Amino acid sequence: MRLFTKASGNLKQALCASTVGLATAFALASCSGPGAETRIAAPAAKAGKVTAEPEGEASPRRLRLMTQEQYLNTLAYVFGPDIKPETHFAPVQRTDGLLANGTAKAGVTDSQLELYQKTAALVAGMVVKPERRDFLIMCKPADEKAADKACAGKFLSDIGRLLYRQPMKPAKVAELVEQASASADKLKDFYAGLAVAIEAMLVSPNVLYIAETSEPDPKRPGHQRLDAYSLASRLSFFLWNAAPDDAMLKAAETGEILTDKGKAKIVNMMLASPRLETGMRAFFDDMFAFDDFNNLAKDPMVYPSFTGVTTGDAREQTLRTVIDQLITKNRDYRDLYTSRETFMSPSLAALYRLPSTRTWTPYEFPADSPRAGLLTQISFLAVHSHPGRSSPTLRGKALREVLLCQPVPRPPANVDFSIVNNPNSSYKTQRDRVVAHRSNPVCAGCHKITDPMGLALENFDGAGRYRDNEKGNPIDASGSLDGKDFKDAVGLGQALHDHPALTSCLVKRVYAYGTGGPAKSDETLKWVNTRFAEQGYRLPDLLRTITLSQAFADVSDDAPAQAPVKSASADAPAANTSK
Amino acid sequence: MKHAAKIGALFAAMTVGFAGAAVADESANVIRNGTIGYVLTDYHWALYQTKDGKAECPQGFNDGPREQFKILFPADDGKKRTLLETQLARESQIWHPDLKPEIFTFKEAQGKTGLGMNLDGKVGPNDFTSPDGSEKGIDNQLYRVIGCVANYRGPDGTLYHFNNKFMQQHEYARVLIELTGVDSLVNDNDVTLTTYRGRDGLLTDATGNSFMPGGTQRADHKWGKEFISRFKGKIVDGVLTVQAAEYHQPTTWAFEDVTDQWFKDPRFQLKINQDRAEGMLAGYVDIENFYLQMARAVSTHHQSYGQQSSPSIYRALHKLADAYPDKDGHNTAISFAADVKFVQTFIEHPAVETAAKEADTRPARH
Repeated sequence: MRLFTKASGNLKQALCASTVGLATAFALASCSGPGAETRIAAPAAKAGKVTAEPEGEASPRRLRLMTQEQYLNTLAYVFGPDIKPETHFAPVQRTDGLLANGTAKAGVTDSQLELYQKTAALVAGMVVKPERRDFLIMCKPADEKAADKACAGKFLSDIGRLLYRQPMKPAKVAELVEQASASADKLKDFYAGLAVAIEAMLVSPNVLYIAETSEPDPKRPGHQRLDAYSLASRLSFFLWNAAPDDAMLKAAETGEILTDKGKAKIVNMMLASPRLETGMRAFFDDMFAFDDFNNLAKDPMVYPSFTGVTTGDAREQTLRTVIDQLITKNRDYRDLYTSRETFMSPSLAALYRLPSTRTWTPYEFPADSPRAGLLTQISFLAVHSHPGRSSPTLRGKALREVLLCQPVPRPPANVDFSIVNNPNSSYKTQRDRVVAHRSNPVCAGCHKITDPMGLALENFDGAGRYRDNEKGNPIDASGSLDGKDFKDAVGLGQALHDHPALTSCLVKRVYAYGTGGPAKSDETLKWVNTRFAEQGYRLPDLLRTITLSQAFADVSDDAPAQAPVKSASADAPAANTSK
Repeated sequence: MKHAAKIGALFAAMTVGFAGAAVADESANVIRNGTIGYVLTDYHWALYQTKDGKAECPQGFNDGPREQFKILFPADDGKKRTLLETQLARESQIWHPDLKPEIFTFKEAQGKTGLGMNLDGKVGPNDFTSPDGSEKGIDNQLYRVIGCVANYRGPDGTLYHFNNKFMQQHEYARVLIELTGVDSLVNDNDVTLTTYRGRDGLLTDATGNSFMPGGTQRADHKWGKEFISRFKGKIVDGVLTVQAAEYHQPTTWAFEDVTDQWFKDPRFQLKINQDRAEGMLAGYVDIENFYLQMARAVSTHHQSYGQQSSPSIYRALHKLADAYPDKDGHNTAISFAADVKFVQTFIEHPAVETAAKEADTRPARH
């Protein structure tokens, strides 16, 4: 099979590998080159003592497949937001809690390649359409029915710099211009020829894969750091979920991005940009495993109010809430699980039994509402339920794995689910069912980890609607989380708020998301978490701490780290209840 | 964030009066400040129908345009007739009906059993008794007119089906009722029901085939003033009974043609809860209005396959009209009843328009 036939030019140089092994992931092992001199000091804390960053943490150079969202966001920046092709890239495998980690293990099959090619052709056609060409292509050919190498070269090198995330090498530009010219002459259409070259760029592995390259750190002999362009890409895909913009590439071209001051300036610019919202929406969509929404279905006979529109709006509600709380209002991350502030859409209002406005509107649940925090939003409640009933176990498991980074062991292969699956059983409530299920010692071990907190959400059915009884039987929503007892979902939110693993899990996920994989050791994560606490658990500060850390830019020749697995345990330490 | 604060205040106001429990039951949110709204989802003329129709229509169902045409203009009588004399003359009668005697015998619904309400408080010779015998003196003479017209009979009659379907589909025909002064949905001796025209689609379930409580409707205070009427009444054991002087109901047909109904002395009798209100609307409908809207709605082709002869119905309406006599003593309205179903909806009154609504509200009748 010959991949990427239209764009095979400087692949070797760009990836520093002989060929792209598209079927498996690998970290680039020996890509070194000349580099600048600096290292990034730990950022100063806003207040309190500043702890020093531990030495030694460095991520492998990674080769990551660009996600569909990253691809589309990049196109929107380069060509404008109306270049929005309808496409569906293949999903990647969730790895160590994140899809983003899976991009470093993703290959491209024949059928995927075909999809990339179709998308590229579609985009190229959109760019050169008569209604767009005059403002997207800033030069005019001498004759629209013939090749114009000067105009093609100018345009292709300009957009190529943004798509390839570094300046185009003259030989590559010449190759693309030749391709565009030959096609233009053959088709007797300058723009049709240009489209062929654009399409070739968009399916280039140098575009589709984010390949990190490194250079010796001049201040620390024997250490490697990301080179300027790789650092720009790592920052940009992390914070904006898109390729670096013109300003970042300029900072990379001048080397400014490798200086303490320059890097801080870039990071601050990125954190202040509206594009941070796009980046963080992508992160939380990934962390919360919202790709599960793509397969979410509810039995319409059981939950007639839960429609396809509800599904999309439930996802959107949580993401809007997160962005509003953590970025717009710069609130404490833990408050996400206790705050009554959110947003409401017409479709969701029907489920929450509220009047709606015509569009998304800020909304705050009243003080006596049974809802507070993300756990009581329809997204969490509905995704972690069965199609026709709620599930204390699935909800408890999600709370452990998604929010506390505590993997729950899979059930044994011979487990007997008849007690919980029999719709005609004599058990009056879900609590009765899971308690009976736990009477089996084989099941009890894991269910003790998940059920006590999942049962606290039983006031919400499988679609997330409030209920105070199950088939006429009153619901007992009391529960406990690692030694802290509560009487309902609001209490569970507070217990989660106070749980020490809540913030350390976020740190772990953000770090892995930003660097492409789990940290090698806990030391750096502990340091970041300490800084996070010192700064009041504010997300922008956490992002600043991570991006300006030495660990973020340092790379090693080591094999990719495996995420340390600490399973949830019924004997887990008690939650921090100091607040 | 001023906008957010405003909305927050709106939502906060919604919960007033429901802070009894430590944790609020969200379903209680549907009553706000003693107010609950509903939107119409089903509307059918109330016709008492037996399984084969033989009890109420012992002579069978009425003929329609095709059958009458064959009788009037037999193809085998050897006469030559022009289009003007036949088809066009007959169709023109739909728009220019008269009361001259015709050769057809109109088949009125028969019997003493019927659906509806006793509107005049009397038990007359033409009145009906409810199927379970619990209510006597039911006034529903419209049933005698349309009860044996196939088009109106459910569930297969074209009018039966499409009247309801178009009401559901067309936003023009959105009927809202808002109960105010509600202390309890079980017993309350003084409540007010106000009708509005809504401006929004109905909230459907996941299948798209059923309608769900919990939606939100904007009341039309600008172009829908005609449809704002105020009813007074009470709730007893979960049954709401209210009455007004007059009520115009927005109604449409196929292409959202306006076919509004004008009702006199209307009253609702509805079994209500926080999700639904189901029961009956009864009163008198202006016969000229009823006829005009029917003719406007249903083309000859619909009338033909529904065996509905407008000229014959026009005569029957005048014959059976039982209220509101004109200066010559001819009744101008006919008693009717309709089966209605509503689901709960939140009704939003645009702030700038609300102030004007009181002045244009039709008076309640006590």
